[in-house]
Amino acid sequence: MNIVLDNVVKKFKRGKGLRKHYITACDHVSFTIEQGELFGLLGPNGAGKTTLVRCIATLLIPDEGKITIFGKDIIYQSMEARQQIGLLTSGERTLYWKLTGKDNLKFFAALYGLAGKERDKRIDYLMELLDLKDVESERVEKYSSGMKQKISLARALLHDPKILLLDEPTLGLDPQFSRFIRGFIKDELVGKGGKTVLLTTHYMDEADELCERIAFINKGKIVNIKSPAEYKDEIPHTEVLELRCQGNVNEEKLRTALSSIKSVEKVSLINKENDLALKVIASRVESILSDVIELVRGEAKILAIDVKEPTLEDVFIYLTGTSLKEDTREEQPDALE
Amino acid sequence: MYKKINHYLRAIWAENIKEWKIELTYKADFVRGMIDPLVYVLPYLLYGIALVGGRTSESLEKLTGTGDLITFVTLGYIFIGFLNMALWAMGFSLRKEQYWGTLESVFAAPVPRWVYALGMAAHSTMHQGLMISLQLIVISIVFKLSVNMGGIVPSLGVVGVMLIALYGLGMMIASLTLIFKQGWLISEALSSLIMIITPIAYPLAVLPVFMQKAAMALPTTYGILTVRHFLIGEKMGFSVGTSFLRLAILCVLWVVFGLIVFAFIDKRTRRSGTLAHY
Amino acid sequence: MRWNRLKADLAIIGAEIRKTAKIWFAYKILMFFWAIFPLIWVIPYLFQGKALVGGMSSAPFAQLTGTENYMAFVLIGAMVSTYIFSGLWGVGNSLREETYWGTLEYIIASPTSLLVVLIGKTLAEFLYATVMVIFQATLATFFFGIDITFGKIFPLMMIIVLLVIGFYGFAIAFAGFTLLIKEVHGWVHTLEWVFFLFSPIRYPVEVNAITKLVSAFVPLTYALVAIRAIILLNKSVINLWQILLILGVMDIILIAGGYILFNRLEYRTKKAGTMSQY
Repeated sequence: MNIVLDNVVKKFKRGKGLRKHYITACDHVSFTIEQGELFGLLGPNGAGKTTLVRCIATLLIPDEGKITIFGKDIIYQSMEARQQIGLLTSGERTLYWKLTGKDNLKFFAALYGLAGKERDKRIDYLMELLDLKDVESERVEKYSSGMKQKISLARALLHDPKILLLDEPTLGLDPQFSRFIRGFIKDELVGKGGKTVLLTTHYMDEADELCERIAFINKGKIVNIKSPAEYKDEIPHTEVLELRCQGNVNEEKLRTALSSIKSVEKVSLINKENDLALKVIASRVESILSDVIELVRGEAKILAIDVKEPTLEDVFIYLTGTSLKEDTREEQPDALE
Repeated sequence: MYKKINHYLRAIWAENIKEWKIELTYKADFVRGMIDPLVYVLPYLLYGIALVGGRTSESLEKLTGTGDLITFVTLGYIFIGFLNMALWAMGFSLRKEQYWGTLESVFAAPVPRWVYALGMAAHSTMHQGLMISLQLIVISIVFKLSVNMGGIVPSLGVVGVMLIALYGLGMMIASLTLIFKQGWLISEALSSLIMIITPIAYPLAVLPVFMQKAAMALPTTYGILTVRHFLIGEKMGFSVGTSFLRLAILCVLWVVFGLIVFAFIDKRTRRSGTLAHY
Repeated sequence: MRWNRLKADLAIIGAEIRKTAKIWFAYKILMFFWAIFPLIWVIPYLFQGKALVGGMSSAPFAQLTGTENYMAFVLIGAMVSTYIFSGLWGVGNSLREETYWGTLEYIIASPTSLLVVLIGKTLAEFLYATVMVIFQATLATFFFGIDITFGKIFPLMMIIVLLVIGFYGFAIAFAGFTLLIKEVHGWVHTLEWVFFLFSPIRYPVEVNAITKLVSAFVPLTYALVAIRAIILLNKSVINLWQILLILGVMDIILIAGGYILFNRLEYRTKKAGTMSQY
């Protein structure tokens, strides 16, 4: 077993004085990831995915529970654990923008104990592999987001780690780069390299396409761990009703009204500036169609209606009542003045 | 074991090289940084000349055994460069990484934090060393400073020991900037206060007694007094041996204190999850 | 039409002052900083004086400045320079801050001139510095026995207004410059030291031929001479008419120059499209 999480709890303090309170980012999380497995953590923003990755990467200390990497405790044997891990965090600013791509890699290579010819060969190999040869001597500030992400990926692979922690690796990238990164993870890292990969994402397609097993995570809790195919069998129904509407609605009221229709099991509603995306999961979509339309029409203008096969996202809604597209983040932590 | 030492030494060197490369991309700032210390010292010197109507002060001679105020002040003033190294160059290295967004990537690598700290120390020492050398050379030529050449080697020894103690201070500031957003105020306040009680442009004797006592806890005090003792024969009030001994004790205290604060804040930010927040 | 335009501009200036004041109160610690630290920074000069002349008065100093009291000399320099230095930091940084907050483009896109906004900022800076200096003067009276009688306040304010009008003309040009360069802090530091070296903030510039010559082009030199003459030599403002005239002429040149330069620099930035880059 490569990565073992045992009852990991992580809480963050928010607010000051009387408004001080704690939010639980990880709530008794346990799972194990086997060698060579591509394991996904799927959940909406703020579900606790990044916190978990940071804990495994030794950047955060859990409040309770234990994490081991190849049997090494991440707190007491952090150096040994770090040597096994390649980390890719989301966000553009994780490189030295004033240095060239190659200089960035050289610096981090030294931190990971690589030197001399071995280092140069490794950097050359990675630059070639990620198609960065042409830009290796340019400063990172001139790179596109996709190129920066590739360099970050090369950095994660420098010391040829057995484990890769990829936190939202395609966030904010254009489709072409996203496709490249996904293919790279699947074919190069896991396929040829035999690496163990922990991937977090809130894109259900990404999880569906790549992962062998997926842990659904919502509000810090692991909801379930299964393969994509097994998940789809979770929903006993074969259809999901989707509506796009426009209008200023009382979300709670509409949700309650829709939920009270007979045979409706789950309702998800995302409102972005009066642009509504509605999903209704029910045992028989056909029989509720007219009731749903009737209800919604009273509140908003219907733009489109669709009946679809359930996706992983629908399973997520079915199991948690939360959509992956929601933002469930709470306030940012405060720093001292 | 050998492999590990080699790994850490390379990491320290890489940290130093990386900083040089980044600094040299801001060419105008780099050049200005080299010239600044030259200009900084001039008002002190000119003020001194205006006060005594020349470069020799009888009063200073009585107090310290040496009357040439230009040499006296210049030798004291270079220690502001060493202080800046700890308070600003080293002190703001982590904050800088935080601003760049690279701190987490650096801290996820398999090197202990103290290796990183030594890397920043190595770089700031070289950079400030270069600035100070330039400052000394130009001032020596312009004002025709004369010092006891035999005192140069022991002076470098004193400065070396003092630097270790200042690294402790630098580490402490560097970690404090991770939890205090207005960390520059800590550095500014500390440097303003240390500049008063460190005998840069005057001997300790002119300070009120409580300040003289506080000055005894500062490595820069011993650095300045002993270097001036070696180079221009300033009377210190204690022996060279005592000075080295006290400096060595301060070294241990400051470094241990710096490491403790560093470890404490490192743990704290890893618990609170504020490492990546700028 | 004209009247409406003026009314609108005044409203913007008022809004800018209110906004700036709110930002100060958000950073209370900065107010504390500017109220105290300019005085703390000159303490080493007091001790240096004591060490070099062995007392609180210096005859060679009086030959250059007309007063033997070097302590009062540097304290007055520190207080008056607060206008310059808080102004440099405030105005120089203000546009950079707006760029950092992402608000600059909205100001430029609004139907007002950036210059009006900057005038608002400088007025706010002036009020701010005045509050700080009043605080410093109170401290100086209590702790250092500097004597400012009530009758001197009006002439002093007159000179300070003449000083800051020209200085803010310069500061506005500097703000335009900050649109082009990205590392402002280094430049502010260097400008600080140019002022320290080429105006009698901390020492009488007459002590050296070069500094004497260069400072003749800096309005701060005249303002400091006049202010010290009023406080320390009990001169009346009428006796100082020549200095006031020079200051007035310099104001006109600086305001006109600052205005032209700022417009040029703003135009250049808009053409180059580098406004929102941080």
